[in-house]
Amino acid sequence: MEEIVFGIGITALAGALATVAGAAEDVESDIGSQGDPNSQVQLAPQMGYIHRIFNKAVSGEPPAYGLWVALGAGLAWAFMTMQINPILAIVLGSALAVFVQGVYATTAYLGRTASLAKFGQPVYIDILKSMTTVTMAHAFVAIFTTVAMCYLMIVALGHPFPLPLLGIVWGIALGAAGSATGNPFYGKERQYQEQKFGAGVPISASGNIVRYAEAGQRNSLDNGFFSAKLGGPASGICFGLIVFFELWRTVVFEELNAWGPVIVGVVVILIFAIIDRYIEVWARKTFGPYTTSEEASS
Amino acid sequence: MTALGGPKQTAGVQPPTGMGLAISIILIIVALALAYFLVQMAGVIALVGIIIGGVLIAFGVHFVPVGGAPAAMGQSPGIATGVAMLAAGAGLAGLFGGAWAAPFGFGVALAGGAIGGGLLMAITCTMVNVIYIFGMGIPAASGKVEKDPITGDTFPEYKSQGTEGHGLPFISWVGGVVGGVLGGLGGTLIYLELVEVYQTQLSAILGATVDQIASVAISLAGIFAVGMFLMNAVLAAYNITGTIEGPHDPKFKRFPRAVIAAAVASAVAGIFAIGLLELVGVF
Repeated sequence: MEEIVFGIGITALAGALATVAGAAEDVESDIGSQGDPNSQVQLAPQMGYIHRIFNKAVSGEPPAYGLWVALGAGLAWAFMTMQINPILAIVLGSALAVFVQGVYATTAYLGRTASLAKFGQPVYIDILKSMTTVTMAHAFVAIFTTVAMCYLMIVALGHPFPLPLLGIVWGIALGAAGSATGNPFYGKERQYQEQKFGAGVPISASGNIVRYAEAGQRNSLDNGFFSAKLGGPASGICFGLIVFFELWRTVVFEELNAWGPVIVGVVVILIFAIIDRYIEVWARKTFGPYTTSEEASS
Repeated sequence: MTALGGPKQTAGVQPPTGMGLAISIILIIVALALAYFLVQMAGVIALVGIIIGGVLIAFGVHFVPVGGAPAAMGQSPGIATGVAMLAAGAGLAGLFGGAWAAPFGFGVALAGGAIGGGLLMAITCTMVNVIYIFGMGIPAASGKVEKDPITGDTFPEYKSQGTEGHGLPFISWVGGVVGGVLGGLGGTLIYLELVEVYQTQLSAILGATVDQIASVAISLAGIFAVGMFLMNAVLAAYNITGTIEGPHDPKFKRFPRAVIAAAVASAVAGIFAIGLLELVGVF
């Protein structure tokens, strides 16, 4: 019984770490315009809309975070084998991984923006100086919490995978959860804030992203502020729920029966099916159909 | 309409050619023969498991509703990320669960892996709809079908003008979960087959007990399983080309080509994975 209670505590802690990781990951990627909304940041100058949005799409978020978290986990593991305190080792490993993220972010911004020179898009050095460090700070939070979560899974819960391999697995899952949940909020609600609420962006409006803020030109710090209100926390909840339920069903129900975690997993999936169907129907009833074409147009 | 010569294109669905099928069958037979030569019958069984795992992954990827960049602007339905990436996220979460449950037996581990992948997709797909509905005020609507095949909901009137639909209709949600289940199942199957082969080979080469070499065998099998998962997911993503809404999307019919390609790729990659330690043993 004591073991189960200990396991539940670790599960809760891992879920909390995952929630923070998901939120930091989404805000980091939105400040850097990584993920799918990047297509619009890259497209805008080609349509004549010069902007001051940071543009550091290294790759899709899942492989990028797979690399950074695995790197942080691998380095932390190496430090631990040198008898360094695990917490310090995870901090050091994550910090070194963040420098790699910073190098990627810098080269990605310079390379991607320089390729737009023929459309008149300048490379803003002040953006590089001010934004890169902010994305690095968010990336550190995401990497540190994910590596710490992986370490707990091995040391406290006894998962057989080594730390770097768990880093790849959960780094890719973190990127997948963060990009799936957070991208639409940044892509539609922020980049196309001038479009009407409650409708998708018409394809004809592609590239016409919002470039001006309350005072002066909009930059990516404003976007981070916006994402931190809903997209980031929602991504955090998504990744936190994934980690929590994945661990909880095993830690609590494995002791009762070997098939227990499988049955509980099926029940949880069915519960999410009901929740999804409920909100889908709720939206159809509450928002109603688009009545005239004028209401939904740009 | 194309300026190039060559066979007529049929709405994106291109059945495998006779030449492709023949080469595929030859490659698979050669790989199976090599597996028998290297590790006898256990190698053949492991390779068959790896091929089935690869096929399950490639087939499963076709179920996952992926909208890519247009989905991030609410211009097309699906999840706003890449096909291979999302499938990898789900499949690897399944692999995590499957590897954890491995001591309880083959069946429990496979089921644990499958449910792990399905659980990630169930939560992710639900959160996608939460963001679309409560964050953006946009209801779910498919652009490829007029009615949801499961719920019977109609879509044209819920599709905003100038878009191909948005959000995740229930059929796409179900497709996502099925894709996650198949991905988790396939990834775990590959892992379990490889871990068994490595445990036998390593204990013979090093003259150690299974417990002593367990961590090395698990690490090697895990890395190869992750690699093969990504390989099959990317192959399927090339077959899909861009975005797909799920099992109701016309692009779904393209899966036979990806399944054959995944079988061959898994057989060839699998023979390297199985033969790795035999080569190490030679040197």
